[in-house]
Amino acid sequence: MVTTYLRRFYSSFVAYVVDVPARLLSFLCLLLLLSFPIALPVTTKSAYILFVMIIANIMAIYASSWDLLVGRTGQISLGHSLFFGVGAYTTALLCTYVGLPLWATIPLGVLVGTLLAVPVGLPALRVKGPYLALVTMALPLIATGIVIYFREWTGGEHGLYGLPRFFPFLDIYEQRVGEYYLTLIFLFISAVILYKIANSKTGIVLVSILDDELASKACGINITRYKLMAFTVSACFASLAGGLHAHFLRTAGPTTSLSMTLSFYAVIITTLGGIGSIYGPIAGAFILYLLDQYFLTMVVEVPMVWHPIIFLVIVVLFIIKWPRGIARIVVEDVLEELSKARELEERGKHIWKKYRKKKK
Amino acid sequence: MHLLEVEKLTKRFGGLVAVNNVSFHIDEGEIVGIIGPNGAGKTTLFHLISGFLKPDSGTVKFKDENVTGLTPHKIANKGIARTFQVVRPFRHLPVIANVMVALKSPRGSRKIEWIKTIERKAVDMLEDVGLTELMLEPAENVGHGDLKRLEMARALALEPDLLMLDEPFGGLNPLETDFLTKSIQRIHLDNPTRGIVIVEHKLYALMKIVKRVVVLHQGEKIAEGKPEEIAKDKKVIEVYMGKAM
Repeated sequence: MVTTYLRRFYSSFVAYVVDVPARLLSFLCLLLLLSFPIALPVTTKSAYILFVMIIANIMAIYASSWDLLVGRTGQISLGHSLFFGVGAYTTALLCTYVGLPLWATIPLGVLVGTLLAVPVGLPALRVKGPYLALVTMALPLIATGIVIYFREWTGGEHGLYGLPRFFPFLDIYEQRVGEYYLTLIFLFISAVILYKIANSKTGIVLVSILDDELASKACGINITRYKLMAFTVSACFASLAGGLHAHFLRTAGPTTSLSMTLSFYAVIITTLGGIGSIYGPIAGAFILYLLDQYFLTMVVEVPMVWHPIIFLVIVVLFIIKWPRGIARIVVEDVLEELSKARELEERGKHIWKKYRKKKK
Repeated sequence: MHLLEVEKLTKRFGGLVAVNNVSFHIDEGEIVGIIGPNGAGKTTLFHLISGFLKPDSGTVKFKDENVTGLTPHKIANKGIARTFQVVRPFRHLPVIANVMVALKSPRGSRKIEWIKTIERKAVDMLEDVGLTELMLEPAENVGHGDLKRLEMARALALEPDLLMLDEPFGGLNPLETDFLTKSIQRIHLDNPTRGIVIVEHKLYALMKIVKRVVVLHQGEKIAEGKPEEIAKDKKVIEVYMGKAM
């Protein structure tokens, strides 16, 4: 019903109002979509919403990196917060003890996280499915144990705090605006890279591993290498998110950067947005954080205790009812409808031309 | 020099001897059929040659090189491509992307001629088995008969020197069987030095294509020879039909 009207509206709109190529139109749509987050600081003037959006940006980087590993390659990891934590702790330790500026520590954190993915991934990726999930789940717990053992250096349960700000020379609201744009740029770059990888020919091989490892081997694919590649790329962006998160909150601790909850947030966000699509978790992060930190706290004012339960219900509902997730349903179905409408309109035009010729 | 030489290959699963002391060889440009009743060890033999299982004893030599116990992807890159008894397409991918996976492997990508892109080569491979019309269809929407041919296109994308087909006619109707028979014959003509091994139950379809047949029964090789000879062999008839009263 709605789709029929949408199709009719779109087809007549495209055919008679903006007679432009579909590629240009989709580019313009993308531009329009991008203009919302870019214009946000101008329209809200609220530091709190910006704060929520910054966290959403960072979590979008983190969750979309998880999506490349799990949604595309099928290597279920429930310990992705390890790399988030490694990124956060590396930057924090380097800032506190070496005194490096933050534009040097965040890349170093990314480097350490990426390099760590190789020795961690090589043994872990030998097991499959639920066993891999269990093995990876243990990784952040081990890391937490190490952090608490070296408590003189890492600050134990409290973690390291007082890290430098991104823009110390600005006042508090301007800082938020700056951090918002900075994380948005990082999100944009990482989303483009991850999307390009996922939809490249290498991405095809990754999906083949998700579908059938045995057949992939029979095709002459060294699946260990491809799995490790996905793991490393994924770890790279997760540690970037960790570094940004640590500097934004100005702290790196076991609960903020290494917790089990953080690992499951990747699952929740990706399920909500749409697994295996890269843009899904980005949409999911914004939906989840606006729902959690804005709608449920500011508008409806549900006590904090109930939030996890509400999310649990939402996620279970999504897994049962809409396993593709919000963003994938919207993008795939709407795009399909629109392309159908476009095709119909083109056909209609041809018939109209023929008819006119006949009349003459 | 034989293309593939299997010597005294043995594989046990606990107490069960699935493949027992099997030796045979395949020459260049030969089409060999492996037949036998259910549970004869045909598929296990396939797995042993293609590296999906490791043999307990015996050797597999490919072009005078010992390939026993190598990992499956290494064997595939040496030029032994196989299909599966139960179709194993990449269900999330379109048909053409299924073939492109094989073309991304070291051997597949080496064999792309310099003027061709990977997509062009994939289309060529699909043309060989007559699947170009379904090119962009996701593999999960494609019928069983077409998936069988897709598997073959995927194996051919590796430009193998030895093509191993595991029950290519399984679950196909007579029309599809006929079509597949013709494509196998065409594949053979395209590259006359390529060896082809076919494991099959449907003897009628098989006997028309192959030049030599190896018969397995309970893991052992009981006969080997031309199709006409095998059809008359008393031992083979006994295995398939039971003993004469």
